[in-house]
Amino acid sequence: MIDVGSLSDFLLIVFGGIIAGIIGSLTGLGGGSVLVPVLTLFYGVPIEYATGASLISTIATSAGSASTYTKKGIANIKIGVGLEVATTLGAIVGALTFALVVHANLQWILFLLFGVVILTSIIPTVKRGKYEFPEEKPADFTSRLFQLSGKYHDERSRKTVQYTGIRWWLGEIIMFFAGVLSGLLGIGSGALKVLGMDWAMNLPMKVTTTTSNFMIGITAATGSSIYWYEGYIQFFLAGATAIGVLIGSRIGSSILLKVSNKEIRWIFFAILTFLGIDMIFRGVTLSGFYYINPLTGFTIAIATAAVLILLLYIKMKLEERGNANFR
Amino acid sequence: MQTSDKLTTLVSWILKIAVFISIGFVTVGSILMFIFNGADGYSISQIESYNSSINLTSKAFSPVLIPSGLLALNPIAFISLGLWVLIFTPVTVLFSSLVDYIYMKNKLYVILTFLVLFNLFTAILIIPAFVKL
Repeated sequence: MIDVGSLSDFLLIVFGGIIAGIIGSLTGLGGGSVLVPVLTLFYGVPIEYATGASLISTIATSAGSASTYTKKGIANIKIGVGLEVATTLGAIVGALTFALVVHANLQWILFLLFGVVILTSIIPTVKRGKYEFPEEKPADFTSRLFQLSGKYHDERSRKTVQYTGIRWWLGEIIMFFAGVLSGLLGIGSGALKVLGMDWAMNLPMKVTTTTSNFMIGITAATGSSIYWYEGYIQFFLAGATAIGVLIGSRIGSSILLKVSNKEIRWIFFAILTFLGIDMIFRGVTLSGFYYINPLTGFTIAIATAAVLILLLYIKMKLEERGNANFR
Repeated sequence: MQTSDKLTTLVSWILKIAVFISIGFVTVGSILMFIFNGADGYSISQIESYNSSINLTSKAFSPVLIPSGLLALNPIAFISLGLWVLIFTPVTVLFSSLVDYIYMKNKLYVILTFLVLFNLFTAILIIPAFVKL
């Protein structure tokens, strides 16, 4: 006899993974950023197991999507590998810190930090893709030493884009912190990676996102082996979420092509904002400093998320109009 | 000096095949787990529970047990092999780029790839052996 209760639990987790994968790829934040809140807030999974499962699905989605990007030659493997020196080191520090935090029963810190990281990631992610190519900046000594030049064929503008990265050292420093967050929270920390490659190293957005996608798998693999030995990779959960998130991110990336410039994406940003706020509330409640009734917290989180996203939406639209008039 | 096209194609293939194999093992393992109504002497609800000893000691299911587990159709062996394939995918990718940099005599990137591999192996092999938290 098949255990129907467990089977439906398994399928429910797969379903949650699919939803997380879709939202993660539509917002560009990655499955893990949605998976951990969904598992902890709605499925009652302890955060240490949710984080472990999330790291595993992060590797799966990274490998799944990176295979397409590397084939098209947009992701720069060389730059990615160079920056991985810092992210893998960061992931080790992050995963060990995670283990210490869990052993000390300070899980509330993870909830709080998770919420803050999601909320602060939203603005750079919304802005992502606003402009196509970075302003050219003069090459510095690291451009030459670390061979940061590359080119790719841009399908939309039908031309070959040449680029040269700068400030490798600054990229490395930011990547270290991206790695720490990845190991600590079980996410890909794509927003920090974009900050490192796009802002610090002046690489084109397309190269940044695709290379970051390729790198995320290596970073997550580093963290997850430590999770494994600490016993936070739960087979039931990790298996179900890996299958779910992979399916979800596939669906998400095929929808993305159709909705990338549409208003629908804002709904997903609103969901993400809600998850971020609710994670912070959960963290505050668990810390014992202040008790927030779950239902009240839920309502406040929905209301705040709606207002915040509406304001951000209006601001972005006004800026767009301003730019259009200026031209 | 651009990364060679061969490497790019190879990496793309490795990633694609690895995901396929890994999810395949995880799926087969999960199906077996439901058919056998459990695994490794534990009932499925014990495996599902976060407090059961199989989860607290999942560090005990060492990769060494995988081959015999597969032969015995142990669902946990299938799922954990799938997950290990996933964890080792990046290692394969790094090794293939290492070979490429050696071939192209790109000394700096040989060293950098070595450093990344060193970090990965520290996380996979050295830290678990020495750090007891």
